[in-house]
Amino acid sequence: MIEVRHLCKRFRDIVAVDDVGFTARNGAITGLLGHNGAGKSTTLRILYGLLKADQGSAMVDGIDVVTDSLKVQASIGVMTDAHGLNPRLTGREHIEYFARLRGMKEALIQTRIDGLIETLDMGDIAERRAEGFSQGEKMKVCLSRSLVHDPRNLIMDEPTNGLDVMTTRSVRSILQKLKQENKCILLSSHIMQEITALCDEIIVIAEGRVLMQGTLDELARLTRESDLEEAFMKITRQG
Amino acid sequence: MWSVVTRKELKDALRDRRALAALLLFPLLGPVMIYFMFNMLIDIAEDAVEVTLPVVGAEYAGDLIDYLQQNGIDIENMRLNSRPASEGEFYSQPQLDEISQAIRSRRFDYVLVIPPQFDELIGASRGSNIELHMESTRTTSSPKVSRISSLIDAWSRETAALRLIVRGINPDIISPVSIVRIDVASQQSRVQSILGMVPFFVIMAAFVCGMGVAVDVTAGERERKSLEPLLVNPVPRYTIVIGKWMAAVLFSATGLVLVMILNFFSLSQVPLEEVGIVFNLGRLEIIGVLVTTLPLALFAPSIQIFVGIFAKSFKDAQAYLSFIMLLPMAPFFFNMFNTQDREFWMNFVPMLAQHMLLTDVVRGETPEIIDFILAGTSLLFYSMLFIFGASQLMKKERIIFT
Repeated sequence: MIEVRHLCKRFRDIVAVDDVGFTARNGAITGLLGHNGAGKSTTLRILYGLLKADQGSAMVDGIDVVTDSLKVQASIGVMTDAHGLNPRLTGREHIEYFARLRGMKEALIQTRIDGLIETLDMGDIAERRAEGFSQGEKMKVCLSRSLVHDPRNLIMDEPTNGLDVMTTRSVRSILQKLKQENKCILLSSHIMQEITALCDEIIVIAEGRVLMQGTLDELARLTRESDLEEAFMKITRQG
Repeated sequence: MWSVVTRKELKDALRDRRALAALLLFPLLGPVMIYFMFNMLIDIAEDAVEVTLPVVGAEYAGDLIDYLQQNGIDIENMRLNSRPASEGEFYSQPQLDEISQAIRSRRFDYVLVIPPQFDELIGASRGSNIELHMESTRTTSSPKVSRISSLIDAWSRETAALRLIVRGINPDIISPVSIVRIDVASQQSRVQSILGMVPFFVIMAAFVCGMGVAVDVTAGERERKSLEPLLVNPVPRYTIVIGKWMAAVLFSATGLVLVMILNFFSLSQVPLEEVGIVFNLGRLEIIGVLVTTLPLALFAPSIQIFVGIFAKSFKDAQAYLSFIMLLPMAPFFFNMFNTQDREFWMNFVPMLAQHMLLTDVVRGETPEIIDFILAGTSLLFYSMLFIFGASQLMKKERIIFT
């Protein structure tokens, strides 16, 4: 479970996150929806411990992300906005590296990786160097390395950005499966369909503020729009 | 845990042609240069032993020629084919041209020209010019030219002294002071200056061989935008920095050891005894060199890692690090102008201390153990500072995300 309370973060004169608060439950997929630059990535970066909030608090499974950042990082899987693959390492080596950094046993690492290669259909890229990977292939490697240690919580920044239809579907089914396993999944997106297709709980962010949060139905009821896109436009215009 | 990082970075670096080229090519450079310079020096030295002097008009200066021959100079009479001198001149212009031509065409390096009335003038206690024709830019012959000149000077002084004695005057009257050069190391000093390059190449190797890796694991990581995903793992920053540092250290140390092996090999191939140098590096000296230089393999990458983290890209890093590359040269400039003796504080100056120790070891002097310890531990201390600094930098938001 991820709980965020009154989070504020400014970069010099720019207020990136302004009093953001929400809860992402276990066994649910929570989506941060907002335009580019709305403060989604900044919020997530505070959660996975790479940015320090100026005010407010963030807890993962009841552990503070500032005072106990290593412990929090151990309990989460993160897919960052930047993919940052190394052109000279193969797909499998990328995943192995992160699994080892998390102190996993060598035998477990190989079984987990084999499983992920199977589910994400990565047989052709596992033993190939990342040089020349397509956007989708890079995403698969990133997704695999955020899942390899079977984290209780998953934080994903734009997880299906640039994926083809087939891969998008398999990512969605993985996330649904993780949800069944009572994991807490928090993702961000600026793509409406993504959010409607996946999320149980939606948090709409604009200019660093939470404008509205609730289920798809609740948002539609509140804005009297059945279509999320219309609802989204309406909310952000008011903000 | 840091070894996970090191292993991954090494695997990566071994696939990187650029880093490998720096590791393998640089160590070759120094030893090859040293080998060739020594061989050139030995050739010159061998030549200086046998001096052949082409002379025009040797018959006009019997005493001088005898004196030169007694001092080991081979006299070769040079026959001139041009028009002989007419009345009133010593040698005709075509004859002089012929001499110049012989030097320019490299038939001779120099020619001694004695005027016809030389013995007559000397016998009458008068003075005479004699001409040594040569080309001053021809450095290979300069030791021979200076040997010939000094012999002629010596003969001239002897003659002058005799003239004074004949007149009942003590020759000391005209030469109150005479400098007696007792040259124990003319050839040695040149050898020393070449041997002095060994420390330079060794110190440079520490900087050059690990640099590719140091830049790749820092600035390269930022350029690829792979720092953010890496830092999400529950591993302290210093662990990651140490892991990266160790990968660069291994490259740097390998380069160092390669340079040393190659240097010693190339020195063992040079016939040093022919120039009268006894250069035998025993086990103690080799240990001395290793103890002195291996801390450099820790130090050089620590600066490069620190600077590399500052840099956003390879290009940035290269610009910054080209300044760092000047550091190994600093002790050489310092020693060039430094006339004072070794002082205690110099033990704590990175590179300078190592340079002094290496110079001593290469010259066959054994520095004291405390010097090794002071130089080594201070380098270790500076390395720790840079690694600590690098770990702090890795916490900065602006470093992680831009």
